[in-house]
Amino acid sequence: MAAAVTGRGVAFIRGLSAGLYSRLQVLACGHQQLSCLHTSSSLESKNWERKNRKVYPPQLPDEPCRPAEIHHSRRQIKYSKDKMWYLAKMIRGMSIDGAIAQLEFIDKKGAKIIKEVLLEAQEMAVKNHNVEYKSNLYIAESFSGKGMYLKRIRYHGRGMFGIMDKVYCHYFVKLVEGSPPKVEQRTGYDQAKEYVQNLRNRTIIHSL
Amino acid sequence: MALPMRRTLVALHRAACNSVMHASGTLDARSPAPLFQPVRTKKRFFIPPAVGMKGKKENNPEAKARAAGIVFTQEIMERPINISCTAGILDPYIPPEGDARHTSLSKEGLKQRTEQIKQSAASQLAIRKIKEHDSTFTTKNFAERAQEIFIEAHNALTRFNKDKLHSLVTERCYPEMTRGNRYKTICWRFIESLEPPRVVHARCPDMVAKGNLYGQVTVRMHSRQTLAIYDRFGRLMMGSEEQPKDVLEYLVIERHLTNPYGQWRLHGKIVPSWAPAKDPVIKTVMIPGPELKPWQEFDDLNYEVPKPAAVQWYK
Repeated sequence: MAAAVTGRGVAFIRGLSAGLYSRLQVLACGHQQLSCLHTSSSLESKNWERKNRKVYPPQLPDEPCRPAEIHHSRRQIKYSKDKMWYLAKMIRGMSIDGAIAQLEFIDKKGAKIIKEVLLEAQEMAVKNHNVEYKSNLYIAESFSGKGMYLKRIRYHGRGMFGIMDKVYCHYFVKLVEGSPPKVEQRTGYDQAKEYVQNLRNRTIIHSL
Repeated sequence: MALPMRRTLVALHRAACNSVMHASGTLDARSPAPLFQPVRTKKRFFIPPAVGMKGKKENNPEAKARAAGIVFTQEIMERPINISCTAGILDPYIPPEGDARHTSLSKEGLKQRTEQIKQSAASQLAIRKIKEHDSTFTTKNFAERAQEIFIEAHNALTRFNKDKLHSLVTERCYPEMTRGNRYKTICWRFIESLEPPRVVHARCPDMVAKGNLYGQVTVRMHSRQTLAIYDRFGRLMMGSEEQPKDVLEYLVIERHLTNPYGQWRLHGKIVPSWAPAKDPVIKTVMIPGPELKPWQEFDDLNYEVPKPAAVQWYK
């Protein structure tokens, strides 16, 4: 009886392992469909710079003029991504002249770096991407990302140590030709009015 | 999250003691075991990088390979290059001033015609030399062939067929035609030819060695074409699709005569010094102004933009 049980147990385990093996194979073959697996490593894929290579077909004369978009970035800046975020958030939606003027008078290490990146991007726009007026640009997107960190040891007392990260960040910016879009200023009164209206719009569903 | 270093040290010490005891235990000849046995320690998931770095000696893999007896063959830094076209246009044709301005019926037109019909002696010699190597060469056929090559090459440029373009255009002309085109779209159309193409000039230069002959023939053609260049975003940069322009061009076609498989390919264009200025690009461009000393001011109204000197150049 015990032998029969163990035999069936072994067969059960073998079936399980076979199922697992086949499922793993399916996983490996169908990796293109599954979006949770990363196919390109973060080291060699410079997707932001590749966006500058996209060529659009010629526009017909009755279509509205497509505004020029310039993507630029700087990699491995010796600064924290969280500290860089504050500067990136500040210049979102500003015109390029305004952004450069503001960054010139901010006392932060990242401000000087971002100003250099913006000036580079402006020159690239005029030289390579057929932008007519260098002031006619505004910052459509601007954000910071984590770079590759170096690990070092931070010595504590009593023989304890911690792993210290030397932080690096990337900075990405997208300039678009044209004047900056006007953001609608919403006051507290407008928000309150909208809230009350939402409350008034409620109805009772499935009622008589 | 500080990992306790003392525990590892203690463990190491204990391990050392254990190994010492083991070594002393195996001194007897009955069961010979290695003197220093490795002892299993607690598995470390993170080893700080600086621990192994101190006092790291530089290995010399080259000396080791030589000592092992591995022999590397001498890698000669050489590469054979095939030159199938000349570097420029030798002894270029100088087009007479006002070439396409006068009709052949007026007196000036007739004078120009007579000058052009009796070509210079050097051109005749060159044509004779070309006929030695290429027996099917005649000036009448060649002019039409030259125009066909020109039209096919520009169509290949519009569709950007790299292989076909390389077979129709020499290596010297290819970068001049395709520089800066990667992120632009070019629309070019040949509408009609206003005058039949004509061979005006021929030369047979040789490169590097004495007998290595190349034939360069200049063909004059007057035609109507449309050109429109769009930038990366599909916006018109230069020219227009509907408006055709009358174009007078002097094409230089070249062939490597001593090579039996040589092909007649477009080598360049001669732009005369009296050619009218090209159409400007659609956008406004900033040009560098004059260099000013610190006390000088820039005078907007009286400043004249310097024009480049009118020189014949070839492209």
